[in-house]
Amino acid sequence: MDADLLHVQPSAPEPIYRQIVEQLRRLIASGKLLPGVELPSVREIAGRHAINPMTVSRAYSLLEYEGLLERQRGKGMIVAATRRRPQSDDSRLELLQPRLQEVARQARELGLPDRRVLERLQALLEEHDERIAHAVYKPR
Amino acid sequence: MSALLMPSTNLVEPAPLACAGVSKRFDGSTILSRLDLQIPAGAVLGLIGRNGAGKTTLIRILMGLLAPDAGTATVLGEPALLMSDAAKTCLGYVPQTPDALKWMRVGEMLDFIGRFYPRWDPDYVADSLLRWTISPEKPLAKLSPGERQRVALIRALALRPRLLVLDEPAASLDPVARRDLLREIALRAGESGTTVLFSTHIVSDLERVASHVAFLHEGSLVLKAPMDDLKETHTRLWLPPAGAAQLTGKLPGELRRRQLPDGALSIVLAREAGAAWPAATALPGADMEVLGLEDLFVEITRGFQPDFAVGRQRLRL
Repeated sequence: MDADLLHVQPSAPEPIYRQIVEQLRRLIASGKLLPGVELPSVREIAGRHAINPMTVSRAYSLLEYEGLLERQRGKGMIVAATRRRPQSDDSRLELLQPRLQEVARQARELGLPDRRVLERLQALLEEHDERIAHAVYKPR
Repeated sequence: MSALLMPSTNLVEPAPLACAGVSKRFDGSTILSRLDLQIPAGAVLGLIGRNGAGKTTLIRILMGLLAPDAGTATVLGEPALLMSDAAKTCLGYVPQTPDALKWMRVGEMLDFIGRFYPRWDPDYVADSLLRWTISPEKPLAKLSPGERQRVALIRALALRPRLLVLDEPAASLDPVARRDLLREIALRAGESGTTVLFSTHIVSDLERVASHVAFLHEGSLVLKAPMDDLKETHTRLWLPPAGAAQLTGKLPGELRRRQLPDGALSIVLAREAGAAWPAATALPGADMEVLGLEDLFVEITRGFQPDFAVGRQRLRL
C-alpha cells in the first residue's frame, strides 16, 4: 500500500489519528486492502503527510487492537489474515452512518426536499466511478 | 543491555524544558503571570498566542536569554540562566529574526559553528543547502528573509539537538519549505526523540505535527492538551433562548460563555477524555459542534470584544 492512499486534513473535525483509522477501516472493509498486504511504515506515512509519527502509531495500535491489522515480527504492519472476505453491505454501511447522519441533519437545516438530496448523492456516486475508472489502485 | 529492558519512554527523566511560576513585566504591563509549563521528553509542543501575547518573551526566558521577574526556567535539567556548555551543545534554537555573523558566507558560518558541536552533521548541512538551493558561497547579509530562516533552521538541526526551540519558524517560508520543515520536525521527534517547542500563527501547521498544544493568552497558558484528544474533549454548545433560560450557573467544564443578541448562548466546554458531556447538552434545541483548533483558539481568547452580530444589527438601524 502506498502512503498517498491516505488523505490527511488537519483542520477536519476528526483528529488525524481517527481520520487514518477510518480510512484504513474502509479500505479493508471494501477489500481494497487484502489480508497480508503490507502497510507503509509509521515513518513513511508521517514523512509523506508531514504529521507526527505518534499520531500514526496511535492509529495503527487501535487497528491492531481491533484485530484489523497484525504486527509482523521484524517487519511492519500487515492487514490481518482473519478477514478473508470483505464484510457484508450492512456492516460496511455502518461505517458510513455518522457521515450520512450529518448529511441528513444538514439537509433538514437547509430545508431541502429528500428527492433532490438523493439525486445529488446518486450523481456523486456515478461521478466517482468515472473518475477512478482510469486510476485503479494497484497493489505492489 | 538488552533492547527489551529499555523503557520506551523514560518517566524518571526530568522534562527537557520547563518553567515554574514565571512572571515578567515590561514598562508596567504584565506580559507573563506565574506561568507553569512542562514539555515531556519527545513531545512536540505547539505554542499559539495572538500578536503580543508574550510568546517570544516566554521563549527567551526558557532559553535563558532573559531573566524573569519571578520564577525559574530549566533546560535539560539545568537552570536556564546558568546553562552549561554541555547542555548548550544539545540545544537547537531558532529565533524569530536570526541575524548572527552577517559578514560570513553561508558555508563558512556553518563550518565555523559546527566546530563547537560534537555531534555536528556536515552531510545534513550539505544535503539541506542543496535541497533548499542556497549557495554556500552567498554572504549571510545578502540572504532573503526566507533563506536566512532556512539557514538558521539548518544550523539548529545539524547539531542533532535533544531539544529544539523554534520561534515562529514558518513565518517567512513558502508552503513547500514549510511542509519540508514540518516533516523534519515530525521525523526528528519520532526517531531521535527530540523534544520540540515551536510557536506559530499558522494553526494548520500545528495540527499536523504537534503532539501537544498550549494557548498563551493574557500572560498565562489558558489551555494545555494533547493534540489528538483536543477535538474530542472540546466542543461548542449552542443553546436556544428557551434552553439558555434553564441554565443555573456554570456548567461543568465550561471555558467560555457568550450571550448572543437573541438570548441564545454559545458555550465552549471541555471534558476529560472518555467522560460524558454535561446534561445541559441534551436540552431541547441544543446543538454541539466540534471545534477545529483555530476556532477553539478564537473562541477562548476572544475575550470581551463587542460581538460581531451586535455590530451588524447596529449598522442596520
